[in-house]
Amino acid sequence: MANTIGSLIASVERGDHSAADALFAALYSELHRLAGRQLASGGAGLTLGTTTLLHEAYLNISRREGAQFPDRARFMAYAAKVMRRLIIDYARRRQAQKRGGGFSITSLLNEPGVEPADATELVGIDAALEELGAVDASLAELVDLKFFGGFSFEEIASMRAVSERTVQRHWEKARLYLYQALHPKSA
Amino acid sequence: MPGLDRGRWEAIDPLLDRALEISVHERGAWLDALRAEEPALAAELHALLALRADADRDRFLEFVPVLPPASLAGQTIGAYTLEEPIGQGGMGAVWLARRSDGRFEGRAAVKLLNLSLVGQAGEERFRREGTILARFTHPHIARLIDAGVSRSGQPYLVLEHVAGEPIDRFCAAHELGIEERLRLFLSVLEAVAHAHANLIVHRDIKPSNVLVNDDGRVKLLDFGIAKLLQDETAGGEVTALTRDGGSALTLEYAAPEQVTGGAVTTATDVYSLGILLYVLLSGRHPAERALGSPADLLMAIVEAEPSRVSESAPQDRRRVLRGDLDTIVAKALKKNPDERYGAVSALADDLRRFLEKKPIAARRDSLRYRATKFVRRHSGGVAVTGVVALLLAGLVGFYTARLARERDRARLQAEKATKVSELLTDLFTGADPFTEHRDKEPTVHELLDAGAERVQKELAQQPELEVEMLAAIGKTYQRLGLHDRAEAVLRTGVAIGRRSFPGTERLAENLNNLGVLIRRKGALTAASPLLEEALAIRRKVLAPDDEKVAITLVELGRVYGDLDRDDLAEPLLREALAIRRRVLGTEDHNIAVSLGDLGFVLRRRGDIAGAESLFREALEIFRKASGPEHPDVASTLFQLAQLAADRGDYEASERLFRHCVAIDGRTLGEGHPDYAYDLVHFSRTLLGLGKYDEAAADAELGIRITAMSSGKDHPLIAFGEIYLAEVHLARNEASLAEPLLRDALRIRQHTFRPDDWRIGVPKSVLGATLTALGRYDEAEPLLRDAHRVIKDVPGVPAQEAEATRARLTALAAARARSAGP
Repeated sequence: MANTIGSLIASVERGDHSAADALFAALYSELHRLAGRQLASGGAGLTLGTTTLLHEAYLNISRREGAQFPDRARFMAYAAKVMRRLIIDYARRRQAQKRGGGFSITSLLNEPGVEPADATELVGIDAALEELGAVDASLAELVDLKFFGGFSFEEIASMRAVSERTVQRHWEKARLYLYQALHPKSA
Repeated sequence: MPGLDRGRWEAIDPLLDRALEISVHERGAWLDALRAEEPALAAELHALLALRADADRDRFLEFVPVLPPASLAGQTIGAYTLEEPIGQGGMGAVWLARRSDGRFEGRAAVKLLNLSLVGQAGEERFRREGTILARFTHPHIARLIDAGVSRSGQPYLVLEHVAGEPIDRFCAAHELGIEERLRLFLSVLEAVAHAHANLIVHRDIKPSNVLVNDDGRVKLLDFGIAKLLQDETAGGEVTALTRDGGSALTLEYAAPEQVTGGAVTTATDVYSLGILLYVLLSGRHPAERALGSPADLLMAIVEAEPSRVSESAPQDRRRVLRGDLDTIVAKALKKNPDERYGAVSALADDLRRFLEKKPIAARRDSLRYRATKFVRRHSGGVAVTGVVALLLAGLVGFYTARLARERDRARLQAEKATKVSELLTDLFTGADPFTEHRDKEPTVHELLDAGAERVQKELAQQPELEVEMLAAIGKTYQRLGLHDRAEAVLRTGVAIGRRSFPGTERLAENLNNLGVLIRRKGALTAASPLLEEALAIRRKVLAPDDEKVAITLVELGRVYGDLDRDDLAEPLLREALAIRRRVLGTEDHNIAVSLGDLGFVLRRRGDIAGAESLFREALEIFRKASGPEHPDVASTLFQLAQLAADRGDYEASERLFRHCVAIDGRTLGEGHPDYAYDLVHFSRTLLGLGKYDEAAADAELGIRITAMSSGKDHPLIAFGEIYLAEVHLARNEASLAEPLLRDALRIRQHTFRPDDWRIGVPKSVLGATLTALGRYDEAEPLLRDAHRVIKDVPGVPAQEAEATRARLTALAAARARSAGP
């Protein structure tokens, strides 16, 4: 493969739109492969959070591509977005199958209490997030990192070199934006 | 369009920032001010902020979606084509599949297994045992059709596909009565009994594995699968982590021995069936309140006696359940596998007798005494399951509990908990550093050691969290009886605390815990300064009547008592008792603890009658507070047994000891340091009764357990060695006694100050031993020295002084005989 993920990220940052697609595809297949391996191993054990998957992807790729690979924060910003795509694609397939089988949404804290959540709700969140991206890209990226990527406020704060307090405030804004988008007042 | 467009958002965004920055109290006024200038914007902002409560209520975006497996639909596995996923179990994904060749109109369930479940050398065995299982059929058991490994290396199982509902939901949905539920459950038992007769243990019985179809017929799934997946080469301490990680989170139906790494037998299935029966009869899980937290659940499995099934049931069923069904369920749910029904058929028989209104066979607790088994079981170590579960429990449980307590700080704590949880995930999925450079699975010790190391590395900037996690790891070591490692970790925690938060209750708590641990290890002189420091801090920062002050008073009093400073111990223990009586009323558990501690001191001061009355009062409180089967009841019985032996009433002492040993064996387990305590001191009573074989066996076992859990220098070992030596003497085997006594002497010289009377005891017995061996010149100085330090001490030592005088007389007589013609 001529284009490494590292060089693709660099191209995207220079404003190369075709590189953005290629980057997306490359990350998608990488994450898909890792998630698939999780399946091959039965998906058993501690439920691997998406964060673990992203960490693993970063380790793999940076090991493979060596020194010129970009920093972790930049990588994660792209990868979390791809992770959202992966999750939403799955949710869509679930919808298409028209079967019940709740999507497994789980909190890291409380393993036994898995909350079944609707694939429909996830797809709705995705659409609202696209809107938010058009309005405020940075807030949308935060949602990718926090919700779809599973990163903690602390990690995100250090990625973005801002205070945790700021990240929490931004998160609250993004959450309100999405919530009102998903629950429009009938009035 | 539902969302806010760019223009609106740009207007609102800075205001929203501001609104979220200021406090709730300021917000009202601020909004009013805004309303005056920009009524439309203010209204919009107000509406947006009002959504916050709804979003919180819906827990909007609070849960992180877990990426599901990619789709395998259409792939072929063996002779089957996968159609759609139908489940995700602890062992792997389950797919509905159809025969690829179309030869049969056959639908099957294909289970794609976690690779590591099979293991490298296990593939052949996997196929072989799969073939055996495939031959096993029963109308109530879903058949295993095939087991193999696909070309791509994916191990799989093909199982008869069963359409049905989990038994608990079926019973609820059809509103079955108790008798109908029992009849349905009996057909489950019939199937399990048939499997047991074929030497197949299920190991994972739970409602999702017991399905009922529309005709009301039961089918059991996954029979023998768990065993099939067990890697025989990895027995004992080293176990496949993935498997264990998986089962660590599905503990609801696990038996105690599955959690602690004991042997899994048919009795394990009896236990799981007991839980299932409990759930079917009462509609509730026996440890329902513990289900929210792995920590609590684990503790419940290992320690808590479930409440009676009748007490958990809805009011209208209680009368029917009370009595026989309570007894039957309780017997199936015994912590100790040996006390459960010996066979599934016996459980079924009792249920049938109940239905036929005949007397059942199970009785309420019978006492039995066993003193073997443990060492064999323990030598394999504790399974990784137990450790992972305990540690997860300790850490995650800690945060969960804290979250529940402190809602205001919930968000902040959730961040921390996420960090903890991720650290654990990293640790136990073995991403690094284990799997990189080794082909072996990490051992329990390595796991915990690596955990402690990472905590210190990654949390150095958050000393409070760091110390909390070290404390949790220390506690895990302690629960596993690894006291040296626990001490090292707790010491680090204390050092960090002294540096980062000196003079605080948080530090005092760690000092207290470290002191308690070190006292348990027997290093008494090292324990007292830690507890003194903890007490000084607690007296300063806590209210004088705070229970925590009493706790440290008691612990320090115990150390002083162990150091034979009853003069220092007694006022502390009296103060603790006074605090507790003031704060806790008359019947609280901790009052009984204080009564016992004081009684202990009185006993040593020779006030046997005074001590006995305190212990009897304590025993009543414990029985009322904790029930008759609690370790606290056992330790009080222990003290009463010792007092009876002091009075020379060995028959009474034996009765009390047997009761105590039985309770501790059941509740703490036969590897617990306290159980070893029971055994060693019981051997003294047995010695007094002339039951030498049993005395020797108990003393030896007690010594072995203690050496394993607390090291070779523990004071208890000296007791054991002295009693064992006395058995040898009584049997005229003096040469066997000598090395034991020399070691006991070594330990006591290490534990006590030079002229302590307790150093005199092994010297005195050694003197008698050497007399028997004809080495009179060596015997005499030992006996004289022993007599010198023992003779003036009041209380129990009076007996020892008398014995020593008798030994001196015997020495003189033996000398005279050998000197004579």
